[in-house]
Amino acid sequence: MIDFFQLLISGIATGSIYAMAALGFTLLWQASGTINFAQGEFVMLPAFSMLIAMAVGLPLWAAFVVALIVSVLVLGMAFKRFIVDPMRASGVISIVVATLGLSIGLKSVVKAGYSAEPHPFPSVFGDEVFKLAGVTISYSDVGALLFAGLMVVGLQLFLNKTLTGRAMQAVAQNTFSAEALGINVKRMIFYTFAINAILVTVTALLITPTYLAKFDMGDNIGLKAFFAAIIGGFNNSRGALLGGVIVGVLENLVGAYITPSYKDGVALALFLAVILVKPDGLLGTPAERKV
Amino acid sequence: MSILKVNDIKKSYGAIRAVDGVSFSVEPGEILGVIGPNGSGKTTLFNSILGQIKPDAGRVEFEGVDISGKSPLELSRMGVGRTFQNLQVFGKLSLRDNLIAAAQEFHGSFWGRMFAPTDNGLGARADEMIELFRLGHVADLPAGSLSYGQQKLVDIAMAFMPAPRLVLLDEPCAGVNPSLVDGLRDLLVQLNQRQGGSFVVIEHNMDFVMKLCHRIVCMVEGRVLAVGRPEEIQSNRAVLDAYLGN
Repeated sequence: MIDFFQLLISGIATGSIYAMAALGFTLLWQASGTINFAQGEFVMLPAFSMLIAMAVGLPLWAAFVVALIVSVLVLGMAFKRFIVDPMRASGVISIVVATLGLSIGLKSVVKAGYSAEPHPFPSVFGDEVFKLAGVTISYSDVGALLFAGLMVVGLQLFLNKTLTGRAMQAVAQNTFSAEALGINVKRMIFYTFAINAILVTVTALLITPTYLAKFDMGDNIGLKAFFAAIIGGFNNSRGALLGGVIVGVLENLVGAYITPSYKDGVALALFLAVILVKPDGLLGTPAERKV
Repeated sequence: MSILKVNDIKKSYGAIRAVDGVSFSVEPGEILGVIGPNGSGKTTLFNSILGQIKPDAGRVEFEGVDISGKSPLELSRMGVGRTFQNLQVFGKLSLRDNLIAAAQEFHGSFWGRMFAPTDNGLGARADEMIELFRLGHVADLPAGSLSYGQQKLVDIAMAFMPAPRLVLLDEPCAGVNPSLVDGLRDLLVQLNQRQGGSFVVIEHNMDFVMKLCHRIVCMVEGRVLAVGRPEEIQSNRAVLDAYLGN
């Protein structure tokens, strides 16, 4: 039983990290109809930005700030301006193909330009553990959970309690009307891309100590974030959180109680089950289509 | 000075002249009705004025400034609002949040809008509109869950939230229960008197237009057939022929 709780806590911590990447996925989809299949590489790039910044002597916190700025400029502003904006008129499939190409391109650039080897990455919360009622808990799991929780709660407060957040929701729900009412649609969509850039940078900070910084580290994260978003409901940001946590917990439990070989298949199996039984996701709502 | 001047607007779709040299003006505080049979070019004219389609020729001036080709966003910033024939509410936001979202660009500083957990005074304004439109009992419900008539009122209230100086209303009575039409007219009259803005109203409900508007433009086949006070339009032989046939 103690093992179970240990696995549960660790699974929730990992799941909350997946949830952040999944949340970025759903936000981009809702605001701009962008399905970003390079989301995993969007987690990988800030990891290398931080590595480079630390290599020139910056402490981890300063490297994180640098990576945040670089991410907002490159993964937020430049991605929107040079890839999504020109493709939007051509529809979702064009954006899917473009982001798949971007995913391959980013991996190749990092592999050829930096290194194909995995690089160790320091943990913000250290490697120590503590015991609580007999359950061994690592500080990094607690830290990841708190950090991800703060990010998610902060984001929900921003979206629901501030004027800009409400305007972003309005744009996601009805772009045409939002523009006619004087909401600056382009700016709101940019904010969504910037938020995604911040989410992937925090995800990189929390998950890279486990995955190690490697050019293909995003393959797994991107896929799990995508599955988590579909499982929870692609048009519901709370669904992304739920999907992330479910995937994180189940893969931990399956890895421990069945076999580690099936661990990575859990998200896929769950994804298939959900799209067969409830195609809109656990918390998703049926999408309206204009004909 | 006229608040809106429309000069010789033309718009064709292939061989069809949807709007063919339409000119009129709207004075400050005036409610101008635009009527005409289906296909007479009213909505095309509206969309041309509001920058949603590009006219082939002509010029539109708002308070003496050329607004031809301005985007809906720019027009909104200048003080021009609009409502749509079809419902355009934000279905998942509450009614109150719909109203707040509709005016957020115009209030407070960038940082206030971005981070302050307040509505920069828009809540009070939203409550005022909710009271005026008598929607208090559904103010916290998602707008998408309201009846068609209530959503129509939300749509109209949203257009008035930033207190625009000119509002173009596209068929405000469409889909509204006939028993509520008189109430809607009274609301628009109140808004006109309270806010002092000018309205341009496209509407098929003749009784509504005749009782609401100060002046009426009648369009037929993309052209202006007659302009005048309601009683003049009602007794205009050409207008009656256009509606009823010769």
